[in-house]
Amino acid sequence: MKKLSVVVAGTGQIRDIEIQPGTTAGDVLHQLTLQDYLLSKGPNEPFFAAAESIYDKVKDGEKIFASTKAEVGIAVCA
Amino acid sequence: MRVKNLGSRPAPASLLQLFGNVMRGQRPSTTVERRQIPYWQELGWRRNGNIYEGAYQTPYAAFQGWIEQELSGRASFYLYQPSDEIRRHSHWTCFQHRGNDWYLIHMAKEPRDVGSGIITIERLITEAYQQ
Repeated sequence: MKKLSVVVAGTGQIRDIEIQPGTTAGDVLHQLTLQDYLLSKGPNEPFFAAAESIYDKVKDGEKIFASTKAEVGIAVCA
Repeated sequence: MRVKNLGSRPAPASLLQLFGNVMRGQRPSTTVERRQIPYWQELGWRRNGNIYEGAYQTPYAAFQGWIEQELSGRASFYLYQPSDEIRRHSHWTCFQHRGNDWYLIHMAKEPRDVGSGIITIERLITEAYQQ
């Protein structure tokens, strides 16, 4: 088991969770009812895919971020 | 009588502290409260009404920015003086010049909060420097 603190970007609210091996980013977001969000280790790290297991990619006690989906682009460049 | 009692006097403060620590053991730890503040605030952005001012920060570079948030919650993100690395990024066409070296960044999918928008732009800047 690993403990994680999930920071919700919009509010700064911190949600403490415990995950088991094999837990995916989608599992975490579902558990926290943050379905429209994406998880990452920070703004300079890629987002975890929903089906990606995050257990081996995070450290016990680490802070990770949940932010809403957004994409830079317009019709001609997206 | 070989020993003569001359009375007592207070021990020096240093000795009292030493013995006090031993008798008391380790002091209880102090819990540091975690700050639960929005991402934009954690990064040092300032808010004045519906305008946010601060910097998009990455390990490679930081860029001055400002954000205007409408009553609907929709936000417009501006970045000052984008570097050559950003200008070479595939999304450079999404930057619209608004005068005085300020650029409006178009969002194909708009974030639901200002912090998520800042994260998105910081990620784009990072990509620009890593490519």
